[in-house]
Formats: sequence, structure tokens, C-alpha cells
Amino acid sequence: MSAQVLAFLCSASLGGCSLSQNHYLLVDKSLLTSDYQQADAIMRQAEKDYGAKSRVLYGMDRGMTLQLAGEYEQSNQVLDEAEEEVDRLYTRTVRTESAAFMTNDNTLPYEGEPYEQVMINVLKALNYASLNRWQDALVEARRIDHRLNVLADRTKDKAAYRDDGFARYLSGILYESTGDINNAFIAYRKAYETFDSSRGWSRTGVPAQLQADLLRTADALHLSQELSDYQQRFPETAWSSLEANQQLAQVIVISYNGRAPRKEDQFLDLPISVDALQLVLLNRGLFQGNRQQHRAADTALYGLNGRVVRVALPMMVPQKTQVRTDTIRLLPVEGAPLTVRTELVQNVTALANKALADRLPGITVKAVARAALKFSMAEAATRGAQQAAGRDAAPLVGLAVGLLTKGFAVASEESDKRSWRTLPDEIHLARAWVSPGKYHIEGAVADVGFRFMRSAASEKTLTLRAGETAILIQRVMQ
Amino acid sequence: MNVMPERNRWSKLAVLMCLLVGLAACGGETRVTRIDAGVVTDLSGRWNDTDSRIVAESMVKEALEYPWLNTFSQSKRRQPVVVVGTVLNNSHEHINVHTFVTDLERELTNSQRVTFVAGKNERDEVRSERKEQAMYAREDTQKAPGKEIGADYIMKGTIATILDEADGTKAMFYQVDLQMVDLESNAKVWFGQKKIKKVIEKKRTIF
Repeated sequence: MSAQVLAFLCSASLGGCSLSQNHYLLVDKSLLTSDYQQADAIMRQAEKDYGAKSRVLYGMDRGMTLQLAGEYEQSNQVLDEAEEEVDRLYTRTVRTESAAFMTNDNTLPYEGEPYEQVMINVLKALNYASLNRWQDALVEARRIDHRLNVLADRTKDKAAYRDDGFARYLSGILYESTGDINNAFIAYRKAYETFDSSRGWSRTGVPAQLQADLLRTADALHLSQELSDYQQRFPETAWSSLEANQQLAQVIVISYNGRAPRKEDQFLDLPISVDALQLVLLNRGLFQGNRQQHRAADTALYGLNGRVVRVALPMMVPQKTQVRTDTIRLLPVEGAPLTVRTELVQNVTALANKALADRLPGITVKAVARAALKFSMAEAATRGAQQAAGRDAAPLVGLAVGLLTKGFAVASEESDKRSWRTLPDEIHLARAWVSPGKYHIEGAVADVGFRFMRSAASEKTLTLRAGETAILIQRVMQ
Repeated sequence: MNVMPERNRWSKLAVLMCLLVGLAACGGETRVTRIDAGVVTDLSGRWNDTDSRIVAESMVKEALEYPWLNTFSQSKRRQPVVVVGTVLNNSHEHINVHTFVTDLERELTNSQRVTFVAGKNERDEVRSERKEQAMYAREDTQKAPGKEIGADYIMKGTIATILDEADGTKAMFYQVDLQMVDLESNAKVWFGQKKIKKVIEKKRTIF
């Protein structure tokens, strides 16, 4: 019996190993030097490490590096695959869920947090827009709308993540850029409502540009009641009419600033005897540093003691950007230069924190139940082995089996630390309408002290015609 | 005495199991089966070749049955010339509109009652070829400019979807609208419409 239990746990643990996160360090290093091709090559090489359970995560991570490398078609291909996998993972298998319950949540296929699933479509929309395939970008806008509608229907808690201000805002920009002012207005209005209602936890206010967009489209659609309402709400906002913009070209700047937060294990060692309590306190005193590095020692100590139950919970570690705003200078061949400042439209860290906070009660209950089950199975295996060994060998066999089974219960406890790590900490956006012509684009970012730094990665030349829209995507790692 | 045969039986079974596992492991993941192009293959529930074919066939049938064609042929004593305009994809899917339009064009052309001329995107390539002929081809084989046939009608339309979803069940409604517009008068002489509705159900849990 004990051997069977051990064999099951061992086999279940084979799939329970978490994804090695080392490649993220190398990717970050390449992004820091603006070597996007290298960042993508590292991601491509790490594909096997992701394994079958993290196909969605690979698609998301790679989709971002490919976008930064300017490989928009390929980026859409991997993001398409990730999106299809998300749909497929709607159906859960009892076998996989049971295996995860016996080991850890890393055995489950990663389907992404709801905000990450929305970001798949956001990235695809930006890719299509960068390829000048606006009708395809609009398909993504419709998919965003559908995904968010389904999410809102499913999420009863009004304070949870159930809509996305930035995704709605981007959809509005795409509609307006293709001349569909009615749908643009609807998307802007939804974006405004979402930014406004979620500003407490999303740490993102209503962008000033969105206020101007609402005024302009309400005016263009002759929605006098809405226009007057928005004029009262945003008395300071300067805006120009749609007719005034029609002979101009549009530049949209998307700036990915900083790095998305990462997850770490937070171990809760629950002693169920006085001896065990002393051991846990002593162990904590000895190893105050990185608990991750002392997992082997914990396994041996707690396995020998046999009276410690370990629970692992994920903890969010923010990696905040130093950038407050990005400044883009458009230098025309003739005429005065134009300076555009980006503003925050998406705080990814706040979204990740919210997603984890919403799911943490469920994760905790599951982790405690799993730890209790593992402990009772290990206890049963130890007692069974002792009885089978006979009176003389029982103490020694009990010690050995206890060390193995209870040690395994401690060692296999690990939280699911997977998240879309190639996303930025914050997304900033700027829109500008400029006279048609040739422009040299210069980018700069302002750090917390508003000391401007030139960003070599964002320098390029653009030729714009009337009515045309250009999308500039830049990555700032500070 | 019975111990040995029992053990043998188990060892044979173990070997057989290993062989089966081995064979299963050796077998490729890809299996290809050739089937007739007309067979309905609804795999994901998204727009597929069957939808494209059904809509094209239905539209062609409609287009040929309605009086605009006979009215034109009788009054002008020739086939109407049609150019394909934009078929806008207003749906939730990245539909390859080009294959659908080609299906339609082919069916109508093969009916011998309509002449299609190259559309906006194709024309540039044809004109560039003509320009090159003027420079590089033998004089008696060169095709002169200014002899293109002007279209009588432009065919344009939209593919739109309405999508509803709850608890893993999706209801997808496709509506394809095509219209033939008289290039001289802007009059809409024919309006074709085809609707398709699909329900896609997904189970939340399986064993």
C-alpha cells in the first residue's frame, strides 16, 4: 500500500515541476540593450522548457518579443495559437485536476489570467495596425468586446476585474482610425466608465486624451446631450473637431514601460506538535534569507520530524518602472517640431495584483486541503510500512518511509508562479494629429525626478499622408 | 507447481504491455485522411470552407435567378460586365474574404451570363505588365493601352457576425450581404443575403 501511494505521488510529481524562470533574466538583459531579435531568440530557445502545460504562456511571452522585434505576422501566429489554446482549456479534465490536487497547481495547464487573455487580443490588434491591416485590427477589437462581455457576465463581483479601460480605449482608437465614429464613441464611453469605476484598484485615472476623444466623437455624431454632459465634466480639456483632423495624419505612440511583476513562493509551515513548532522557529531563525534556496534542507528536516505541514502560496513581487512619462518629438522636414507626452493607460502590476487577490482565497483553501491530504497519505504510508516490517524493524522502516513520504509532501509543495512576464509594468499612450509629411521621430523618457533621457530605440523616420495613422511601439526597461 | 506458469503469464502480459506502449509511442501524432472536398468538416465552429461554399452557391443561384441580369442582357444585347469591389469583413473572425469572393466570381463567370473584369488590386499588376510589354515585347504582340472594358456593375458587400456566449455555449450568427450597384446610376439592382447560424457547445469538465 505504502509503495503504491509513493509510486502515485512520484508519478504525479513528474508533471508538477514548475517552469524555470531563468530565461526571463536573459530576455530582460536583451531588452535593456534594445536587442529585440536576441530577446526573441532566447524565448524561442526556451520553448521546450515551457512544456505542454504552459503553451498559452509561451504564446503570450513569445508574442510580445516577436512584436518588439517587428515580426508582427509571426507574433500574431503565436498569439493566435495561444488564444485557441485558451478556448480549448475551457474544458477541464478530472484527471489533470486530481493530479494537481495531489502535487501542486503547476500540473494544471496555464490558461492565463482574464486580463492576460484580453492582452492577447490587444497585442494582436496592435500587430495588425502596425501591418496597416486595419480591418483585421477591427476583428480583434470585436473579439476584445466579446471577451469582456463574457467576462462581465461571468464575474458577479462588481469590484473585480470585469472590464478593461485600455482595451476598450484602444478599440475606440482603431474604430476612429477606420472612420467608424459611432463604434469609436461607444468604445470610448465604455473605456471612460471602466477607467472611472476601477481607478481605486487599477491605479489608472481617466486619460486626458480620452476626454478629448469623447468630446470630439460626441460632437461629430451630433450627440448634443452627451457633448454638453462631457463638457461639464471636463471643462479644462482642449479638443479639436473631427473635420479639423480630417486633413491631418495621426501618430499613436504605445510605450511599454518597465517589467511586469513576478511571482514568488510564500511558504507557510504549519507545525502540528510542540516539537515541530520549535523546529519551524529554529529553521526560520537559521534560514532567514531566500527560502527557495533552502528547500532541500527544509525537506530533510520536516521529513524527519514528520509533524510539519507546508503550504505554498504565490506572492506578487512588483518590478516598478521609474518612468513617469515618455516624450516624443516629431521633427518635420519643414516647420516647427511637435512634442507629444504619453500618459498612463494600463497599470499591468495593479491588474496582476488584483487578479491574484481575487483568486487567493480559493488558492489558499485548495493549498491547505492539499497539504492535509498529503500529510494524511504520508502518515498512512508510514504506518502501513511499519506494520509490514514487523516489530523489530518498525522504527527504522517508519523513519525511512516517513522521511521519504513526508519529505516528498514538503518538497512537492510549490505555488503556481506562472504569469506573462514579458508584459511591461505600465503601458503609456499618446495620440497626435500632424500635418502630412516626413517626420523624424525622437523619443525620450522621464524618470521619477523628471530627468530626461534619450531613448535610442524609439528613433525612426515616418512619412505620413492625410488620413493615415501610424503606430509607434517602444519598449522602455527603466 | 502452479507458481511458475502464473509468473510466466504475468511476465508475458508485462512484455505485451511494454510492446503496446512502445508501439503507441512510436506511432506518429499526425494522421492524414483524404476526403471529398464537399464533405462538411465542422471542427471549431468558426467560418470554414463549407460556409464559404454554401454562401457562394446560394448567392450565385440568387444572382442568376433575379431579373436584373435578363433585363440588362435584353436591353444591351450583351452580358453585363461586373467588377468586384470591397467585401468588408465586419465579423469576429479573420475570414479570408478573397477565397469566398473567388468562389463567387468563378461560379458566375462559368455560368456564361456575366463577364468579370479585374478588380482594383489586380488592375495595377495587369497595367504594369502592359507597360512592360510596350518596352520589351515584340510589337505585333504588344497590347495597347486604353482598351480595358469598363464595368457596368460593381459587386460589394459585407460579412457580419453577431456572437452570443454564456457558460461555454456560443451562438454564432453570420450574415453575408452582397449587392450589385449600377456604376452609372448608383442604383442597387440586386441584393443577395445569406444567413448561417451555429451553436457551439463546450463541456466544462471531462474525465
